[in-house]
Amino acid sequence: MFDLRLIGAEALKLRKRHGMVALAIALTAGVAVLVFTVTAVQHASNAGKYGPAGGLAHYRDAVGFLILMILVVGAIVGSTAGAADLESGVFRDLAATGRSRIALFGSRIPGAWTIVLPIAAGAAAIAAAASVALAGSLAAPSAGAIIAGTFALLLAGALGSALAVGLAALFGSRGPVIATLLAFELAISPILASLSFLGGVRQVLPGESLDRIGQVSLHAVPIALPIAMLVIAAWTAVAFSVGAWRTKTQEI
Amino acid sequence: MNSTIQAGEDSLAIHTQNLGKRFGSRAALDGIDLEVPRGCAFGFIGPNGAGKTTLIRLLLGLAEPTSGRMRLLGRDLPQGSSAALARVGAIIEEPRFSHHLTGRQNLQVHAAARDRAATGRIDASLARVGLVPRADDKVKTYSLGMRQRLGLARCLLCDPELLMLDEPMNGLDPAGILDLRHLIHELVAEGRTVLLSSHLLDEVQKICDMAAIVDDGKIVAQGPIHDLLNGGTRAIDISCDRHAEASGLLAAVRGVARAAEFEDQLRVTLTPEAPVDREIVTELLRRLLDGGVAIERVAPVTASLEERFLTMTTPLEDRV
Repeated sequence: MFDLRLIGAEALKLRKRHGMVALAIALTAGVAVLVFTVTAVQHASNAGKYGPAGGLAHYRDAVGFLILMILVVGAIVGSTAGAADLESGVFRDLAATGRSRIALFGSRIPGAWTIVLPIAAGAAAIAAAASVALAGSLAAPSAGAIIAGTFALLLAGALGSALAVGLAALFGSRGPVIATLLAFELAISPILASLSFLGGVRQVLPGESLDRIGQVSLHAVPIALPIAMLVIAAWTAVAFSVGAWRTKTQEI
Repeated sequence: MNSTIQAGEDSLAIHTQNLGKRFGSRAALDGIDLEVPRGCAFGFIGPNGAGKTTLIRLLLGLAEPTSGRMRLLGRDLPQGSSAALARVGAIIEEPRFSHHLTGRQNLQVHAAARDRAATGRIDASLARVGLVPRADDKVKTYSLGMRQRLGLARCLLCDPELLMLDEPMNGLDPAGILDLRHLIHELVAEGRTVLLSSHLLDEVQKICDMAAIVDDGKIVAQGPIHDLLNGGTRAIDISCDRHAEASGLLAAVRGVARAAEFEDQLRVTLTPEAPVDREIVTELLRRLLDGGVAIERVAPVTASLEERFLTMTTPLEDRV
């Protein structure tokens, strides 16, 4: 199902989209650098009014923000991985080789990961390094917190990409996928999370699980860590299954 | 498998029986029985919307038939499609590429979906279609003709036993068409089979050994090109004086169905029972000379594939 040569080909197609890769880096690592730089300059210019840019609390805020941004990047890269070949017509020629359509589809998610996960790791490293280096008088994030935050960011990249690839196979084009995922992550999910009468049902919201895994301070729904992991795994599996089913059954 | 399609019929590259494909109430293909022998160039011709591309899509596993049987390179479809398609190169309608990649990178992507040796064939494939000088340019800078050639190079990556080329001459200049004609002849000489779907009937006539004519989802004729051409009415044009008298003389000859003035000469239409050209022409000339008619020129009318095509397919104004 997962063929390294197909995954390599998928990675090549994505890597050569220089504009998309630059945008993804700017939205994650670039924004992290900008935020820490601005707050560090503020602290340096007026320490009485502005606290240190780093420290555990700021690290957790940064992780919470970066989770959202990496989900956005996952939506962009994943939807491109999932729909570009369909939009261009290349997928028809690939399917005509007789290769399993599941294998062709299966290469897209890890292909997207080859772009998104290094970017997520870079953003996580910047957030961790800046939070420690700029902690000043505040408590620096512990190794455990950094591991949890980094893990959550990587999971956000993996989940965001997988969801986008699956939906892109379903929709057949990038635009609706990016719009749907952005609307869900940035608007619908926070609203649903704030509706307390929904109770434990809110645990299925992937953003809440990512916040729990990353130990983000503001996560609204109490979730056990194993449940949070299970939720992420389930969403990824659903995305893969939906995309694989559509890819296998559609006439081209 | 239907009993009439035998597993041992490996002399056929493509064999379909009663193949049908419906889109709602419309039949795109209706009872297609196609036999494409191995090692030949086979033309597949028909008007727009006749079902040519639909048939190719079915054979390539891109769509499912609603009825009938298919066999490709000796394997039943869809069960044996992976093994069969591994040795099939195809251009469907127009070759599509990732335009932000170079020609070579596009072939690398495609080779990843082929057998492991395919990557090693990239340079040779590019050389064979004359694209080496532009191989490292992005495809978005290619002309349509160059993309067609890159599509052919992509077909060659799998060392194909069978090539299905759907309108491969689109966008090619006359030199490109000539190159393609030579390439197809070379491929056939190497023992490969080429299924050529094209509107360019003259090219099909020049390139192909055999052809099938499809109209409104049905095959209306198939066989060797020579047989298809000879399947029409035979006629002989005669330039002479005294047309009225000459036509009366010729109409009385056994084997002549009709003799009438046609474009400043006489066109003698023969019956199916008429003897071979040498004999009937001799008899016609004898009658005319005996009748005192002066003859300038005698020429059997050579039917073109285009003429045969037009007599067999539904005129544009009659299509629904």
